[in-house]
Amino acid sequence: MNRDLRFTALKKTPFHSRTSLASRTNKYYNWNGFTVPTEYSTTELEYTAARNGTSVMDLTPMCKYMINGSDANKFVDYLVTRDLSQMEDNTVAYIIWCNEDGKVMDDGTIFKFSNTKFMLCCAVKIYNWLHDSAEGFDVSFEDATDTTAALAIQGPTSCSTLKNYGADDLELLKPFGMKQYNINGYDVLISRTGFTGDLGYELWTDPANAENMWDSIMEAGKELKIRPFGMHALEMTRIEAGFIQTNTDFMAAEDSLRPVRMRSPYEIGMGWLVHLNKESYFVGKRALKKEKETGNSERCLVGLDIDGDKPAVGSVIYNEKKEDIGIVTAAMWSPTMKRNVALASLKRPYGIKIKENIFAEIYHPEELEYKKIWAKCKVVKRQFFSPERRNKVPADLYE
Amino acid sequence: MSDNYDVIVIGAGHNGLVCANILAKKNRKVLICEARENCGGLVEESITNFVPQIPLSVSSSLGGLPVKYKAKSTIALSESGQHIRLVGNQHIDHKVISGFSSKDADRYVEFHDKMSSFSKALGSFMMASPPRIMNNTFSDYFKLFKLGMNVRMLGKKKFNEFARMIGLNIADELEDNFENTLLQGLIAHDAVLGSNLGPRSPGSLINLLYRMATHDNSIFGGIYEIDGGSKAFVDTLLDISNKNKVEIKTSSSVKRCITENDKAIGVELHSGEKIYAKKIISNADPRSTYFCLLGTENLDTDVKRRIKHHRSKGKVAKLSLSLNKQPEFINCDKNDLESRMVIAPSIDYIEEAFNPSKFDKLSMEPILEMKLKNSDQSNPVLDIQVQYASYGAQEGWDKIKDNYVDAVIKLIGKYAPDIQSCIETKTIVTPDDIEKNFYVSGGHWHHGEIQIDQLFMLRPIPGASQYRTHLDGLYMCGAGTHPGGGLTGIPGKNAAQAILEDA
Repeated sequence: MNRDLRFTALKKTPFHSRTSLASRTNKYYNWNGFTVPTEYSTTELEYTAARNGTSVMDLTPMCKYMINGSDANKFVDYLVTRDLSQMEDNTVAYIIWCNEDGKVMDDGTIFKFSNTKFMLCCAVKIYNWLHDSAEGFDVSFEDATDTTAALAIQGPTSCSTLKNYGADDLELLKPFGMKQYNINGYDVLISRTGFTGDLGYELWTDPANAENMWDSIMEAGKELKIRPFGMHALEMTRIEAGFIQTNTDFMAAEDSLRPVRMRSPYEIGMGWLVHLNKESYFVGKRALKKEKETGNSERCLVGLDIDGDKPAVGSVIYNEKKEDIGIVTAAMWSPTMKRNVALASLKRPYGIKIKENIFAEIYHPEELEYKKIWAKCKVVKRQFFSPERRNKVPADLYE
Repeated sequence: MSDNYDVIVIGAGHNGLVCANILAKKNRKVLICEARENCGGLVEESITNFVPQIPLSVSSSLGGLPVKYKAKSTIALSESGQHIRLVGNQHIDHKVISGFSSKDADRYVEFHDKMSSFSKALGSFMMASPPRIMNNTFSDYFKLFKLGMNVRMLGKKKFNEFARMIGLNIADELEDNFENTLLQGLIAHDAVLGSNLGPRSPGSLINLLYRMATHDNSIFGGIYEIDGGSKAFVDTLLDISNKNKVEIKTSSSVKRCITENDKAIGVELHSGEKIYAKKIISNADPRSTYFCLLGTENLDTDVKRRIKHHRSKGKVAKLSLSLNKQPEFINCDKNDLESRMVIAPSIDYIEEAFNPSKFDKLSMEPILEMKLKNSDQSNPVLDIQVQYASYGAQEGWDKIKDNYVDAVIKLIGKYAPDIQSCIETKTIVTPDDIEKNFYVSGGHWHHGEIQIDQLFMLRPIPGASQYRTHLDGLYMCGAGTHPGGGLTGIPGKNAAQAILEDA
C-alpha cells in the first residue's frame, strides 16, 4: 500500500456509509485508527435498545489476526494463560495473555476453526508480539483487521433478528459457539459472543458484503426494536456485565510507563483464566506460578455496590480510617438494575478479605459546583447483570 | 529417577573445565559432555594466537594451575620498515616512541596511566559475579556501589574523564593524543580486536579498557603465549580433571535439557541417551543454550526477543600458513619475529577494513595479528588472525575463501616479500567454520559482542546474569557470561560459585 503517511486520515470502516447515515449527532472517535460513532442519537436510547431489543455495533476496528500453521494449536496454547488444549473446533474462548513478568498485556477472544487455523480478536495491536513469540513454532500470521468486517448484534431480540436475516437454527448455537453461514449469497461467520453480557452475536464477513449485511439486518430487525449503538452505550452495558476493558480497568503491560502499574491476572480478577497445571509452558508461567505460590498479589479488581444514586466516576476508595485503599475504574447508575455500581481496583486485603466498611468519595457535579458525597460501598460480584437469557439454549425468540 | 550425577557440564571448553573442577573439588560428582572429539573448545590455537594470564583467583581455586607463560612483545609493522616495538613496560616504551616523536612518548605515558587506572577500577568488578539489580538485595547494591566508589575514588577530575570516555570511540581519543599514525593504528587495533566495531564506532574505547582489565591493566603488556601451546594448557586442565575424578564424555553432543516441573533435571544426547543430574551447566553460547537446550517452547517471548537481538556475529578468521623456511620480514630481526606482529598501519586503514564488514562484505585489505611458530626450525608456521572476516559473508565464504586467502598473503607480501615462495599449505578457519566445528552460534570469540549493552549485569541478556538462566537448575559458564571471552576462566569459576551458593 503506497499511502502518504503524513496525511493519513482515520480510516473508514466498510460500514461507514451506513453508520454515518444513521448518526444524528456526528459524534465520532478514533478507535484503533478507524473513525466510528460514539453515539448515534442518545446513549440512553441506544442502551435501552441493547437491553430490550437489538443493538447493532460496528466492530471492525477490533484487532483481528489469523493464526495458521501446523503448530497453530500449540502456539495459541503457549501464547495465552488458559489451557486451550481441549478446545473444540468451531468454538470461541475468552483469553488473556501476559508478558514474562506475568503481567497482563490484553484480553480477547480466540476463534478455533481447526487445529491449524485460529482467529484472535483483541483491543491492542500485537502483531509484533505474535511474531516474536512464534520463534520455534511453525505458524504464520495475517493481520485481518482491514480485511474482515465485523458487526455486533446484541440484545434479547438479536437471535430473532438474525433468523429473519437468514441465519437458520441460530437459536441452537451455544454460547461461545460459532457457525459458518451463507446468507444473501455471501459467507458470514456468526459467533455467539459479545461485550454486553446479554444474549448476542458477532458477525464476521468480507468487507465487500458489509453494506448488504447492515441493510439486511436493519430490515430484519425492523419490528424487533433494532437500533445502532455507539461506544458510550457499549460502555454502560459492559460495566453492568462486569467485563473489563484494557487501559481503563487495568493498564496493558506494554503500555504502562510505570512498572508498578502493571497488573497480573490475579490482580484484575482473571485468576480463573490462568491454568498453571497446563502441561506445556506458556508466556509468563514462571512468574505467575511464583506469584500464586508466594501469594504476593497486591491488588484486586472487584465490583462495588455503592449507596445512593450518584455514579462514583473516578472516585478514590477509603477504609474506615480514611486511608486510601484504591480507585474506581468504571462506574455508573445502572438503569436496568436500579443500582449504583462500579468496578474498583483495591489494595489487598481490601476486596478479598475485607469487604465491608469501605467508602467512596464521590464528587458529583451540580451546575458548576461539586457535591461531595461520602458513600458506603459493599464488595460484590463483578458480574452485576447476567440474565438467564444470556446462556439459554435454544435462545429466546420473538416475533 | 535417580540423579546419577550432581552436575553435568555441557561443553569442555576451558570455562567448562574450570567450572567442573572447582565443583569436583567440593565433592560434587561431575560429568562433562563434549560434542567434539577433543576438549578445550576455542582455546585451540587454530582460533586464538595470544592469551592473557589466568588470574590467580582462578588458578588457586583449582589448587594451582601449572602452566608456564611466555610474555610477548608487540611490533607494529610499517611498510617503510619503520616498525614500532613495544614491550608493555612504560619506561622502555617511552624510549622507543620518543624515537618517532617525543611528544607522543610523553603523551603515551600519560595515556597509559590514565587508562590503566580506569581498568584497575574496573578490575575487581571484572573478576566477581556481577550484581543483579532485580534481586534487590543489599549485597548486589553494594557491589554496584563499590564499582561507583572505585571510579569515584580516582578523584573528581578522573571521574569526569571516565564519564567522558566511557562511550567514546577510540579514534578520537588517539587522534587527540598522538601524531604517529602507526602508533594510533596499533592501539586502535587492540581496541577493536575480536569485536564488531571500527575505531570510529562509539564504544570502541571501553573495549580497550575491558581488554586491559584482563591483560595486567596494561595496553601492550599482559600478552602471553602458553609454553607448549594451547595443547599443553588443555592437557594440564585434563590432568587436574583426572585427579578430581571429573568424568568426560567426548563426541557426545547434547540435544536438549530434560525438564520436570520447569526444572532442569538432566540432558538428552543426540544419540538418545539420557543422563540425569541435580544441576546442569552450559558452556555453550547463550543462543544455543536458550534456543536449543532450554528450547523455544519453554521461553517467554521477552526472553526470545533478547536472545534474538543478542549480537554474536564473529569477525575474526584464522589463517595458518605452514612454511618451508623462515620468511624475510623487512627490517626485522630474530626477536621481532618472535613478537606479536600487527599489521594495522593507521586508524583510517582499520576503518576502511571495517567498512565493508558493516554490510557483511569482506575487505581485501584486512588488519592482521601474526605469530610465527617454530621460527627456529625448518618448518615454521605463520598463524594469522584476520579481523573483519565477517560471519555469513554476503558473497558466501565457499566462493570467496581462496581469493581472500590470496589477498591476505599479498598483504603480508608487502612486509615480507618472499612469503609467497615459503608457503607449503594454507588453512583458514572462518567464523562460519567456528560455528560449524565448535558449535558456537555466530562463530564469535566471546560468544557475544563485548559492548556496553552486553556487559556486566546485562551479560549475556538482562534477567540471566549471575550465571543463572531462566530455567531452574540450568546455569551458564561460557564466554557469553560476565566478564566474557579470553582465556581467563573467570566465567567458569564464578558459575561454579553460583552453583555452590544455590546448593
